[in-house]
Amino acid sequence: MKRLCFLLAGLLVLAGVTAGPSLAARAGGTLVSMAPYGGDIGTLDPHKTARTQDALVIKNIHRSIYKWNPAANKPTPDLAEKVDVSKDGLVWTLHFRRNVKFHNGRTMTVDDVIWSLNRIMNPKTAASGARYIRVIKGAKAVEEGKADHISGLKKIDDYTLQITLAEPVDLAYSLYDPNVAILPRDVVEKMGDDFGTNPVGNGPYKFVKWVRGSEVVLQKFPDFYLKDRPYTDKLVIKIMGEGAARDIAFRAKELDMTIVGAAQYPQYQKDPVISKHMVEVAEMYTRLMVFNLDYKPFQNKKVRQAINYAIDSDLIIRKLLKGKAFPCKGFLPPAFKPTAKAYTYDPAKAKALMKEAGYEKGFTFECIGTANKSWGVGVVEAIMPYLKKINITVKIQQMEGAAMAARAKAGDFQALIWSLDSGPDPLVALMRWSSSNPRSSGNYANYHNPAYDKLLTEAARQRDPAKKMALLRQADAMLCDDAPVWFFNYNKAIMAYQPWVHGVQPVAVEMMYQDLMDIWIDDSSPRANEK
Amino acid sequence: MLAYALRRLLQFIPTIFVITLIMFLLLNVLPGDATLMAGGLRKEVDAKVMETMRRQFGLDKPLYQRYLLYVKDLVTGDLGVSFLRREKVNRLVGQRVWPTLKLAIMAMAIAVGVGIPLGFFSALRQGSLLDTASMVGAVSGVSIPQFWLGLLLMYFFSVVLRILPTTGYGGGDLKHLLLPAVTLGVGYMALLARTTRAAVVEVLTADYIRTAHAKGLSELRINRKHVLRNTMVLVLTTAGLQFGALMGQTVIVEKLFSWPGIGSLLVDSIFQRDIPVTQGCILVIIVVFLVVNLAVDLLYAAIDPRIEYK
Amino acid sequence: MSDFFKKLRRRPSLVIGGLLTSLVIGMAVFAPWLAPYDPVDFADLMVSEEPPSAQFWFGTDNYGRDIFSRVIYGSRISLAVGLLSQVINTFIGVILGLTAGYFGKWWDDLVMGVTNIMLTIPALIFALAIMALLGPGLLNVFIALGLTNWSYTCRITRSQVLSSRSLDYVTAARALGYGRARIMLTQILPNITGPILVIATLGVAYAILLEASLSFLGLGAQPPTPSWGAMLATAREQLFTAPWISIFPGLAIFITVMGLNLFGDGLRDILDPHLTRQGK
Repeated sequence: MKRLCFLLAGLLVLAGVTAGPSLAARAGGTLVSMAPYGGDIGTLDPHKTARTQDALVIKNIHRSIYKWNPAANKPTPDLAEKVDVSKDGLVWTLHFRRNVKFHNGRTMTVDDVIWSLNRIMNPKTAASGARYIRVIKGAKAVEEGKADHISGLKKIDDYTLQITLAEPVDLAYSLYDPNVAILPRDVVEKMGDDFGTNPVGNGPYKFVKWVRGSEVVLQKFPDFYLKDRPYTDKLVIKIMGEGAARDIAFRAKELDMTIVGAAQYPQYQKDPVISKHMVEVAEMYTRLMVFNLDYKPFQNKKVRQAINYAIDSDLIIRKLLKGKAFPCKGFLPPAFKPTAKAYTYDPAKAKALMKEAGYEKGFTFECIGTANKSWGVGVVEAIMPYLKKINITVKIQQMEGAAMAARAKAGDFQALIWSLDSGPDPLVALMRWSSSNPRSSGNYANYHNPAYDKLLTEAARQRDPAKKMALLRQADAMLCDDAPVWFFNYNKAIMAYQPWVHGVQPVAVEMMYQDLMDIWIDDSSPRANEK
Repeated sequence: MLAYALRRLLQFIPTIFVITLIMFLLLNVLPGDATLMAGGLRKEVDAKVMETMRRQFGLDKPLYQRYLLYVKDLVTGDLGVSFLRREKVNRLVGQRVWPTLKLAIMAMAIAVGVGIPLGFFSALRQGSLLDTASMVGAVSGVSIPQFWLGLLLMYFFSVVLRILPTTGYGGGDLKHLLLPAVTLGVGYMALLARTTRAAVVEVLTADYIRTAHAKGLSELRINRKHVLRNTMVLVLTTAGLQFGALMGQTVIVEKLFSWPGIGSLLVDSIFQRDIPVTQGCILVIIVVFLVVNLAVDLLYAAIDPRIEYK
Repeated sequence: MSDFFKKLRRRPSLVIGGLLTSLVIGMAVFAPWLAPYDPVDFADLMVSEEPPSAQFWFGTDNYGRDIFSRVIYGSRISLAVGLLSQVINTFIGVILGLTAGYFGKWWDDLVMGVTNIMLTIPALIFALAIMALLGPGLLNVFIALGLTNWSYTCRITRSQVLSSRSLDYVTAARALGYGRARIMLTQILPNITGPILVIATLGVAYAILLEASLSFLGLGAQPPTPSWGAMLATAREQLFTAPWISIFPGLAIFITVMGLNLFGDGLRDILDPHLTRQGK
């Protein structure tokens, strides 16, 4: 425990927090957080949702076998205590904690784990988490309805599970996601569809109520497996999709923490109090404009490179996004220390490349995108003048999410602007652009490069983490040079919190994936003693 | 009168069916489907799971089959199951009706309480300061977008004065209700004030008023007896229509103030292409609207005896 | 003719309203000569979000575009959207309302049925659905908004017809043997222009704002087209940090609506047959 506190304190210092003399964590009070991504929570059944918005609540009610460790930037065991991996990487033995209780008082056993993983693969569940579990031997058979249960799962005893994989992958990345949480079999089977609105989990907080479209209220679960967690007695998550409203609620001190948008960022930086209580991180989302390689002009690598040279991304980030982004160096985010050579602003070179490509006179393309400020058509408006200088005319087509996704997956576009996840597993992130990945699964550019594919195949086989990472960086550099996209930025996620809040961490995988059980509030909070 | 009410009630049924059919068709030809939005915009769902979902939601069936299935359930009062929330639409929608009704009633009360007197007195004192001020006020009320007004009110009352909470439902108490209701009501107040003024001016110049003047009736009595009553027809139509329309126009206010109403559910479900939920919301809004309208029409008879019901 | 001017003088609202409206119309017509910068092509990030100054009268937006120029050019888009859609709305609404109220019977039932259906479907949703069908673009905005908002006018017209049908002058006209169409056009229509004009003028604002919502959903005028509604909607997060980006297009909408209202009011007074008869 001491070690964890130490780690926490270290992180706070790292994050630039002037917390003063290290205070002892205080228990009690109410923490008010928010869910900022769009509309209402959909369901609190972790297997039946894929939305980040839902996961923000789910993470506090349910736990998974692993959890994301922001300090190490990788998943570490959570419900499992110890994990043994066989030499070939195919057999994983998981030793679970013995004191994990569900909110109904029952102790969790391996039976719940096996049942949960089977439920995820069952086609009746239509779980988005299936993609994580599919690596287990026999999982695909269940998904296709050819088997009742996953053959690769073997119960050793009540607290030990042996998992056999179809191919050697790092299972940790598969089992940390909130969508593969372990649920209490008896409760789920009894409640059926009602489970999603009245969940029973094994996490630090118990479900109390959910005012639709407004807020979710949770309460401390006293029998949580970590004796001194969670710190606060109550947790309220306000559903607030509108950035301007969030800003006002934060200033009115109704929110203990808030995610900061580009519009508020400069103001918060200038504010003497708020500026001292902000955490920033380069999130694993890469913002880019995808070129459809089926469109003639984009088939020329020089044209694609020219566009990358022609745009002053730094200036756009500074002025339009108010510095709330990090310039791209290839596709992989900074967490993986990419070595690709970033494109610099060089209009002369861009012009020369266009001439070499035979497009001196330019061409016209249409770019589709959403209304999003940081990765929507707003950005395209800013690059239009730059591209005009190399005689490229951009037409903008703004659309709403579903319509845009439909066109993206059908390849019905010339260019599109989007934010794509580039983590947490760098191999999975880069696999997006491999030839084996169809457009409908995310290779929107329709990028094919055998040399790139080969690097990824080698990386997948490589058991030595350092060598594997080196191969991935090489592939990333190759992708960057080939430029099937315009590399714009990595999101800079910013969390601002009130002075009385302690323990907010920079979480690269998703800033909002704070482990709220680790956050505590001191006496100066207006809700310090609220239960 | 009773026969008229019954006839109108019967008319509800074809109206509802036509609307559900139109909306069903419209919603189904919109580009993109629910599976594309299953992960929101931040996460992608892989193609295989999307296929499974599509089958589960019945999206692989032909359109007419889906509509027949929908109608079959509708007749028994079952609105189906939400695609993405995996919850019964009846319950989902049921929970949201009351907060929206509450919001709409409060907004309407503000609009009627302020708008009608304002329009009435402006008409009596045409060209006066009050008339000009109410005109400017009404035009501002209509031209200010709700999100603007809402944010300004929120900032002023919650950050500067610190007397009202910014957002949330809080059990629906007056404290939480006030700001969203004012935001929603102002535009309607303006419209009501303008309509009332126009109607009163119209009535004031009518022959019977001049006759009343000629008969030597006092100004006050004329105003109360003739003008007010004759204006009521028009104002009631407007108010009634607006109340129904309000139900479908709470969207921005509900989103801004995190209000757990049907408007935000409706817009979420449209963006998510969650067709059963969208249909359910629209159905509820329609029924409320039709009932309010019927009530308004019946009230006409009580106020304006010239209208006959056949 | 001199009689007309005399009447004008007694109606300052008509004059002021007319002036404001012509101002906006003039802005739309003479935009290329009035605007100091190109509304779209002049975009310099180095001067983004500058507050109003001698160089940029209304300041600049996030992209370093001149807001003054954009507001001037925006009058073209917003006026077209507001007026055109309202003309379509009023036309459909008046014709249907008039005939339904006058003829009654099955035609009334049918029209009122359709009107009820239209009224019940939330405007934004109906417009959104139509736009999704037709595809985004300005021309389709006209059509979508023009088909969306007529039911209101229709209801009001009908209720006015119902209550004026038994009024003296209509009965008298009937007694004189006037035909139905003639009665409708010469007796009833002039008597209901007042409320309809008020609704139509306010409807212009409504259409302009609805266009903003549509733009916001990606189904209106496409960026970087300078429509007032879209300018307002996209700058809402900066209401407190860079208020000029949204205040000026907001003011432009306000002035337009104000002008149309005053104009509509004055027009009604002149058109009103009672007033004319009285020589008031």
